[in-house]
Amino acid sequence: MLVVALLVLTGNIAVSVLAFQGLIGFSGQGADLSIFSDAYFWGVLSFSVKQAVLSAVLSVMLAWPVARGLYFLPTLRGQQSFLRLCLLAFVMPTLVLITGLVVLFGRSGWLLPLLPDDWNLYGLHGILLAHIYLNMPFAIRMLRQQYNNIPDPAWRLALQLKLSHWQRFCYIELPVLRPVLVMLLGFVFILCFNSFAVVLALGGGPQATTLEVAIYQALKYDFNIPEALSFAWTQLIIAGGLFVVLYRKGSGGWLSVDLPDSHWRPLPGKWAGVAYRTGYGLVWVFLLLPLVSLVFQAARNDLLEFDYLALLQPILLSALLGIMAACLSVIIGYLLLLPVREARYRGMTRRQWLLEWLATHTLIAPAMVTSVGLYVLLLPQTDLDQYGLVLVVVLNTLAVVPFVVQQLRPRLLQYDAQYDQLVRNLKFSPLLRLQAELPYLRQVLINAFALGLLLAIGDVAVFAIFGHQDLITLPWLIYSYAGTYRMDEAAMASLVLLLMCAGLMKLFVVQKLPYKVKDKR
Amino acid sequence: MSKFKSALLASAVSLSAGGVLSANVAQAEPLNVYTYDSFVSEWGPGPKLEAAFEAQCNCDVNFIAVDDGVSILNRLRVEGKKNKADIIMGLDDALMEETRATGLIAEHKVKLPELRAELNWQDKQFVPFDMGYFAFVYDADKIAEPVTSLRELINSDASVIYQDPRTSTPGQGLMMWVESVYGDESEAAWKQLSQHTVTVTKGWWEAYSMFLEGGADYVLSYTTSPAYHAVVEEKNNYKAAAFSEGHVAQVEVAAVLNTSKQPELAQQFLQFMVSPEAQEILPVTNWMLPVAKNTELPEVFGRLANVERIGFTSEEVAKQRKSWIREWRSAAAK
Repeated sequence: MLVVALLVLTGNIAVSVLAFQGLIGFSGQGADLSIFSDAYFWGVLSFSVKQAVLSAVLSVMLAWPVARGLYFLPTLRGQQSFLRLCLLAFVMPTLVLITGLVVLFGRSGWLLPLLPDDWNLYGLHGILLAHIYLNMPFAIRMLRQQYNNIPDPAWRLALQLKLSHWQRFCYIELPVLRPVLVMLLGFVFILCFNSFAVVLALGGGPQATTLEVAIYQALKYDFNIPEALSFAWTQLIIAGGLFVVLYRKGSGGWLSVDLPDSHWRPLPGKWAGVAYRTGYGLVWVFLLLPLVSLVFQAARNDLLEFDYLALLQPILLSALLGIMAACLSVIIGYLLLLPVREARYRGMTRRQWLLEWLATHTLIAPAMVTSVGLYVLLLPQTDLDQYGLVLVVVLNTLAVVPFVVQQLRPRLLQYDAQYDQLVRNLKFSPLLRLQAELPYLRQVLINAFALGLLLAIGDVAVFAIFGHQDLITLPWLIYSYAGTYRMDEAAMASLVLLLMCAGLMKLFVVQKLPYKVKDKR
Repeated sequence: MSKFKSALLASAVSLSAGGVLSANVAQAEPLNVYTYDSFVSEWGPGPKLEAAFEAQCNCDVNFIAVDDGVSILNRLRVEGKKNKADIIMGLDDALMEETRATGLIAEHKVKLPELRAELNWQDKQFVPFDMGYFAFVYDADKIAEPVTSLRELINSDASVIYQDPRTSTPGQGLMMWVESVYGDESEAAWKQLSQHTVTVTKGWWEAYSMFLEGGADYVLSYTTSPAYHAVVEEKNNYKAAAFSEGHVAQVEVAAVLNTSKQPELAQQFLQFMVSPEAQEILPVTNWMLPVAKNTELPEVFGRLANVERIGFTSEEVAKQRKSWIREWRSAAAK
């Protein structure tokens, strides 16, 4: 078993090394350094940074008062559903949201009469709107949880000391929130910096392009490998570098169970209460509107005549690819943890740390970077048309593995703490050991599988590079519908994908997890 | 390029599914043709041409569609000798030199009929099958006084949608248009245009559908586009603006690849493309002008904007395209 595990670890590392070799320029085509004197490069870079900073700041700043309201008014109605909706907004495939936004804010959008004359969804506006929708709910959950960490005595003390609102904010709330705020800003920045589908669909040409999209364009539009490599390196250094810094700072429990809490906290004043309720209501509307609009837009199809068969192949393919990636990632994740457990058993802390890092190292490179590396490497030797879908599964698996590892690890280590000694004494065969473990791991394995599937099923970035032109996935179908402004069909397809994900969420019992940083947007 | 609203209704999926299904075997090896998506849509010329040719060749034609003309070249470059095509169809004259440079193009050996004089066709590898003039199309119900020159359009604040010159032939056409009108000042022109550009799309199809949804005042298309609306929809409000500087022309071409395993059949197909039968199908499906003289056309074609041709030779484009694209990219990125 351990041998298999080591083989898997080697394979996992090998793919990264190969991708890296591709990046360095296996076929003799190194990166194109002249790009650094091209205004376009700097335009793309500064836009990537600008939109990511704005997205991060706006998402967090808008989430803050809402999280505060949730905390101070624990009796707000529908809070559980609200938190679940927040989770759905964060994990749902980006293209579902994009369709909803186009229906609402697009060129013939429902809300167009309410918007300023020069409104244009295509460009910075649209990108920000989508990024806020995807990340604000995540920030709300995180911040609310952090508020719950404020100990009751702190409030009682504040009351006794008759601290003003401002003083309470400065001395009680801020110190608790500060580390999370910094981390949130950083993570949302990275998510948006790596954003692909949103920018591809809502970008307005070269004016609104991120590095992630520029890599894709250099490869698929210009077939300019050296340039794609330069962009990929830049992306890797910036996103990867930042990620390492933030990842080392630890992990929080953003997906943890929505526990009803019974802390004591001061009641907000009358006007503050009204403000919180209003904010809460507005976010409800903001989160629901794009989803509801999908239902109405989809209903504009002739429902009896609708070509449901057109959806069938993409549904099946998405499900198949997703399930394969999810299953593989659960198996690989489990196997990768075996040597970690062994190292821990032997008390080799540094080795344990190294192995854990290796198991999750694929988090560092954005999906597009790894894809381009492999693409460049494999192009001269393989028929990518034929094996492209295999690579879609492989790359999605590798992207999901770190989450699976993070999810399985605590439970496995917990198991070891309780039973490992016993199991070793009984000299169980590996198979028997697995059988003993399984009942203990069942739920966490299901969770890991569901999370892997949720992440993999929405993939657009890897599919854009390796995808097949005839066999397409549901997100890619939505992309092509929305691209040609066939919103009725796009809405129908989006609705189907949304329902699939909502169904998966039921399977997914929320639990302690690290941040979801590797995103397929 | 066949590019019309009805075509938009053809599902992208049924397209691709159709591509797979039509590969069902009439014979062992179908004749594979790389082309662009709107060509093979249900209302495009693809199905009609396929039926007509299959009736005479006892073979199976299989269209493999990519986004747009430039994408055909890009795909060919990516795949090199491993390509699956016997024929490429739907690149334009501006891309001929670069396509030739792949070393994959065979001589056509087609007997060309009498062609339109303005084509002055000499090429031994590429066969022209239709042509058109790029133009900005607008809705006359919304715009009473359309712009009359490229400079006027670029100086205006009218909202514009055009296509990415890296992936689409109309986008590339606009690039040549700007270069020939502005020369050294084209960078400034692009910057100015970017101020009132709604979006730059990947292909013609995305741009035109967004325009029809009310997405912009002007969309880059062809002088022949209004003919579609007139013939099929009986609408006369869509018009092409005639520009005083002249218009860049596009000649769509096809060629046989030297990697083809059935070069004779492929050549036969190209011969068919310039036959009267195909030439009469193209204008009312692809909504472009025929290349053969004396092709019968619906009456509306006589009413289209009559424009003067300007632009560059294929060699000039091949030399400059990369740097023009870089210039466009930087300027449009601001």
